[in-house]
Amino acid sequence: MTNATITTELPARRSAVSLPPWASLGIIFGLVSAAAIALYGPIGVSGTYPRFVGAVLRGVAPAYAAANPYLVKMGSLVTPETMLVIGLLVGGFVAAQLSGASSAPAVEYVHANEVTPARRYLNAFTGGVLIVFGARLAGGCTSGHIISGITQLAVSSILFGAAVFASGIVTARLIKGGR
Amino acid sequence: MSLFYALLVGIAMGALIQRVGASSPRMILASLRLENVAIMKFMATTIAVGTVVAYAMSYFVPMHFDVKPTYVIGVVVGGLIFGTGFAVGGYCPGTCVVGVGEGRRDAIAAVVGGIAGALLFTLVYTLIEAPLIKPMSYGKITLFGMLHLPPMIVAVALAVLFIAGVTLLPTVPRARRFRASATS
Repeated sequence: MTNATITTELPARRSAVSLPPWASLGIIFGLVSAAAIALYGPIGVSGTYPRFVGAVLRGVAPAYAAANPYLVKMGSLVTPETMLVIGLLVGGFVAAQLSGASSAPAVEYVHANEVTPARRYLNAFTGGVLIVFGARLAGGCTSGHIISGITQLAVSSILFGAAVFASGIVTARLIKGGR
Repeated sequence: MSLFYALLVGIAMGALIQRVGASSPRMILASLRLENVAIMKFMATTIAVGTVVAYAMSYFVPMHFDVKPTYVIGVVVGGLIFGTGFAVGGYCPGTCVVGVGEGRRDAIAAVVGGIAGALLFTLVYTLIEAPLIKPMSYGKITLFGMLHLPPMIVAVALAVLFIAGVTLLPTVPRARRFRASATS
């Protein structure tokens, strides 16, 4: 009985609303981002990196960690943002497992200079340094500034988003010969 | 309880990022090269839905809004540095964590780079605070505050603008321009 209703309804619904994945997943992400603001606060990721650095330095160089104004300002790892980052790891793992055949390649090559795996790792590492340094200077990253910041109509986040895409598009042009 | 909610939000966000392909450096570069802007459209749709729903909810339940301060030089310079790294590596600070969960080995290099970047920022913070963060600082300002309009009006206007953009602009601009018969 229930099976019959599901099988007759599903194809009809699909043909009526044929949204591309970016649209349907974007709508769900928008609802999740608004729910986060209702439940505890806007989503964010990049602050976790200096909090992790702080946690390590408090173990190996406690005097320096206690005297560094930025580490003091960022505080401990026991914060919702750390849990969100753990969730990203879990969510990425589970979604990849469930998608089966279409799961991610171990390494994706994107630039012409990535002729060896080592060159790809170097580009990923360099990119990682720049995105987190830039995000901490600006006070947020794609999630904290662009997604939840513009969602809240923050002026800083609109400025950040414009700067990121201007620089990203120009840099992608300057790095000749993608693959 | 906040910690538990954040974990659930993170799991949902990680799964969404994986499913839409935002954790794929190739998809990020396709967006930045304006070859396939699906990820940009995903972000614009997220913002359009999020802003209307969040400000609509604010009429009924207390919301934990937390607007980031505007210090023009630091925010813009940070954004320019971020954009460069985004194009070089193809990851952002969250998508590389999703990538590690997916089993991408280059994502591990990006996370390690991110930790190095955070350490570097920690070391130079006191040097750059005066020239980059202190000047042109206007506090936690919003678009609706500057325009003296109710937040909901500005949220709907932004959503209409973004939805119009993602609906009217092609997802694969070059294919449309050079190959009329290309699939969407």
